[in-house]
Amino acid sequence: MIQYINLHKTFDRPVLAGLDLEVADGETLAVIGPSGTGKSVLLKTTIGLVVPDAGDVRIDGQSVFAARRGLLAQIRRKVGYVFQYAALFDSQTVYENVAMGLPDDVQAELGPGEILRRVCASLEHVNLEPRRVLAKLPAELSGGMRKRVGLARAIIGEPRIILYDEPVTGLDPVNTAAVEKLIVEVDARLQATSIVVTHDIEGALAISDRIALLAAGKLRFVGTPQEFRRSQDPLVRAFADRHAAAEAAASDQLDLV
Amino acid sequence: MSGPLEIVAGPLRLLGRISLSVARHAGGMSLLVWRSAQAAASGGVRFRDVITQAYVIGVQSLPLVLVTATLSGVVTSQQGGYQITSSVPLYFLGSVVTSSVILELGPVLTAVVLIGRVGARITAELGTMQVSEQIDALYSLGRDPVPVLAAPRLIAGTLTMPALVAIADAVGVVAGMVAARATVGLGYESFLYGSRVFWHSYDLFYSLMKALVFGFTIPLVSVHMGLLTRGGAEGVGRSTTASVVFMIIAVLVLDAMFPPLLLN
Repeated sequence: MIQYINLHKTFDRPVLAGLDLEVADGETLAVIGPSGTGKSVLLKTTIGLVVPDAGDVRIDGQSVFAARRGLLAQIRRKVGYVFQYAALFDSQTVYENVAMGLPDDVQAELGPGEILRRVCASLEHVNLEPRRVLAKLPAELSGGMRKRVGLARAIIGEPRIILYDEPVTGLDPVNTAAVEKLIVEVDARLQATSIVVTHDIEGALAISDRIALLAAGKLRFVGTPQEFRRSQDPLVRAFADRHAAAEAAASDQLDLV
Repeated sequence: MSGPLEIVAGPLRLLGRISLSVARHAGGMSLLVWRSAQAAASGGVRFRDVITQAYVIGVQSLPLVLVTATLSGVVTSQQGGYQITSSVPLYFLGSVVTSSVILELGPVLTAVVLIGRVGARITAELGTMQVSEQIDALYSLGRDPVPVLAAPRLIAGTLTMPALVAIADAVGVVAGMVAARATVGLGYESFLYGSRVFWHSYDLFYSLMKALVFGFTIPLVSVHMGLLTRGGAEGVGRSTTASVVFMIIAVLVLDAMFPPLLLN
């Protein structure tokens, strides 16, 4: 279980203002909200990449911020993090990038042959053909492929928790659907607890068990996709109606076709 | 606030801001040194990474260092020759060139070359990694960027700079000797005689000590500034510029501290 307890964070203005949230084991939580409301900051506090001004984050009861460096590294190994722009290491090949998802001690135990097998398996899980991409540098890949390699790196260590920071931002509708399908498949295969920060309401409704809406640094709404659709909260309605409008537009397009 | 207090408050605020900034940088760099030392002592730094950085910092800088050292030797020889002709015996030029190159020009000009070629590159590289979340990605994978990114650069810089300066010293003196013969007609033997007259073996130690300190300072400042980068491509440009200025000032201040500390 992941617990966010009374989180506060201020940069040049308050971003998180007393946020409390719990994510149960095996759950997929989508976090949505207007830009600049602390969604990515929330995700980064989960593994201590951003230190809050006050409050705590606990993973399986273990405080992330009370942990010393060694313990924090162990906590982070339980977590796979998919970055918004993949954050692949520029100077390393796809093989090296994905293999980085395995800790050094695990790599030493496995040996080169088994590491290669696992890298290939991880790439296949995200629908990439290892033979074609292993030796490539990130700069030689398309945006969608980079996101998939980032996902392959995040899941190669079979983490119990996966954090997705805007995994479909900048992707075309075909790649968006493909990445969202992958998220569902990966979460099911690893039985992972997932938090997906996204602007894609349609995707959030499709892949999540619960949706959390952040506004002004606080939790404005949290509930199932059905509760989200039924909510009368004006801000929730604004997001839900946008989704309904998008669906109607898509339907009109289909009628025209 | 009343007038006189406002007059005092302005400079005090500025002083406070500068003090905070100095303390923040000093603290950040001290922590970086401490954690790099811990990583090196615990065997957490990969030998391959150090060799790669030594190649980038040392071998790839060599051509530029050779050009700079040659020109510094030639210019010192010509200007020295112009000044001492018909005032003191010409063989003194050997001493002037040798001392100038070994005590000052060799280490300082090599440091300037490294600041431009290596320091700026390190800051831009790590800054780009910072703004594109690659540093966060390292943390998220349970890896510490210090043994992977900082320590190899610090070790490689500290080890390769003395070698570069030793080469620069030798090349600078030889270039000065050749230039002295070509411009003021001072023969090689006379030049070497002049070099030996005022030669102290300690000068070479002094030169290499400077190299060691500069070789440590340049990667330290550049790594520190790279890891502090925020704010996209513009931020990378800003921190690279600030880093180069910071490194030049640091090298010149450290250079000014050497004579009172080591030449008395």
